Amino acid sequence: MAERYVNCKGLQCPGPLVQVAREARGAATGDILVVEATDIGFKKDVAAWAGKTGNELLTLEEADGVITVRIRVSR
Amino acid sequence: MGERIVVIGAVAAGTKAAARARRLDAGAAITVLTEENDVSYAGCGLPYYVGNVIKERRELVVRDPESFKADDSIEIMTRTRAASIDRERKRVIAVDLDDGREFEVHYDALVLATGAKAILPDVPGIHLDGVFTLRSVADADLLKSFIGARAPRSAAVVGGGFIGLETAENLASLGIGVTLIEMMEHFPPGFDPDVSALIGNCVRENGVTVLAGERVAAIEGSRGLVQSVRTSGGSVEADLVVMAVGVRPNTGLAMEAGLGVSRNGAILVDEFMRTTDPQIYAVGDCAATTNLLTGDGAWFPLGSTANKMGRIAGSRAGRSDGGAGSSQSLKGVLGTSIFKVFGLNCGRTGMTLRESLDRGHDAVSCTVPAPDRAHYYPGARDIIVRLIADRSTRRVLGAQVVGSGVVDKPVDILATAITLGATVDDLATLDLAYAPPYSSAMAPTITAANVLLNKMDGLLEGITAFALKARLGDPELLLLDVRSEPEFIVSHIDGSVNIPVEELVARVGEVDRSKEIVVICRVGKRAYRAYLALKARGFDRVEILDGGMCAYPYDTV
Repeated sequence: MAERYVNCKGLQCPGPLVQVAREARGAATGDILVVEATDIGFKKDVAAWAGKTGNELLTLEEADGVITVRIRVSR
Repeated sequence: MGERIVVIGAVAAGTKAAARARRLDAGAAITVLTEENDVSYAGCGLPYYVGNVIKERRELVVRDPESFKADDSIEIMTRTRAASIDRERKRVIAVDLDDGREFEVHYDALVLATGAKAILPDVPGIHLDGVFTLRSVADADLLKSFIGARAPRSAAVVGGGFIGLETAENLASLGIGVTLIEMMEHFPPGFDPDVSALIGNCVRENGVTVLAGERVAAIEGSRGLVQSVRTSGGSVEADLVVMAVGVRPNTGLAMEAGLGVSRNGAILVDEFMRTTDPQIYAVGDCAATTNLLTGDGAWFPLGSTANKMGRIAGSRAGRSDGGAGSSQSLKGVLGTSIFKVFGLNCGRTGMTLRESLDRGHDAVSCTVPAPDRAHYYPGARDIIVRLIADRSTRRVLGAQVVGSGVVDKPVDILATAITLGATVDDLATLDLAYAPPYSSAMAPTITAANVLLNKMDGLLEGITAFALKARLGDPELLLLDVRSEPEFIVSHIDGSVNIPVEELVARVGEVDRSKEIVVICRVGKRAYRAYLALKARGFDRVEILDGGMCAYPYDTV
């Protein structure tokens, strides 16, 4: 199980979501994606995406305008 | 002896008229009569006072009678009812509400600023304890003390207009569970149904239960105290009820005096605020006005209009000789208005799309989401601009702007443009202020104008969310969502097909040519690219979803 850092800072919607989906596809089941993004719409989108794709959203934090999420890739 | 100027009503328009008259006529005797204890208060701030956003009562009250007396030699008689007007003898017959004493006040010029009254529908239980309106500071005091004493857990707000929405938000912020009951399916008024649905969604997302299209049948309680509201759809628990179903011009005094009243019930006035008796003016929420776009009689009980009317009547009353300062007039208004509900800012001006079509305009609209400032500047937030114009005259007819970003600027730009008769072409090239903290190089209003020009010039066809919703399930329709796959997964319109715009040309064979194609993306930009690609490949029945998923307020999967 690996932990991968995904830098989506500065990307506009839908950039962060598209990149997370791409990284998840390339990852192994059980891998953790640590994603940082600054697009405000990402919060809602990533939670909905994880829910619908069966990937597990472990944490979602926001500090200093940076949204950090940890996702366990489940498929 | 100078002129005797008498004003009836002492909130916004009345005190404005009195103050302006004083500035133009130092020698006039100016008397203001009001039934209330408070004068010159900010009626529009009342919901925020209830919600403790405005903490001090005195912040709401702009001036008191003592300051009018000391600073402006204006005599304000509080708790004084104007019982009737004797136009022949130019006298107001007044009653002191404390001792019942009746007396007369002479006038050379009389200004009626009697305001509007909250409508109390005639339903059983309307007089129970715990049922309130929110129109005056006194109303707000009663509501606040009830909340303080009873700590209600639930509240029903009846009416989805601006006051109802603001009150719902403020009660919810106190931790009270709020149900909003609105008779109409679409609210608030003044917005097209798909734009108002965005407002409704925001209210729901913030925990307010919304019952739209339901009528209040009865208010029920026990031992005189409210407990629930029975509607056409069921029953709602309510420890507290706020009736915000609208207001009616307060014109009893004017009608008894035989002054002309318009069809909408407000006092008829000309552009100088003169009633059918040239010695009597009417201003504020009791007075009718004209819709600038249609020329029809109108009535917009708004603080912004009330203050302008007050100033104009004050100018005429203070300069009865027609001297400098008396020539200002009010040709009409557009019903420009704005409010905030939870995180959403909502503004409007002019006609809605529906009104434009109903009036026979060759109306065309666009819906354009855009950031309120440079998208990369911290704090940038999206707004959605609905812009409406007449295809043949190219004139801008109306606009609605909603979003978490700045909406007052675009609404004010558009109100100005409409007032000055601007075409969409004018709007598209306005020289507006730009630097990243304030706007985009192409401001949202300019982007919207350009999208509308594309439509007017036949370069783009679109369908509103409202029109699309009415046709969902139509087998003739193919919903083609050209966003990326993950966006599509997050939410899409049921029945739509996903081909990302980057793959469209390669996969164009998958698109059924025999169908009418609605291209969908997030805001409309990728849909336009796809639209052009399909058009270039001989597809003739293609349109984009105006405003994309960003402005689509209905169910998704």
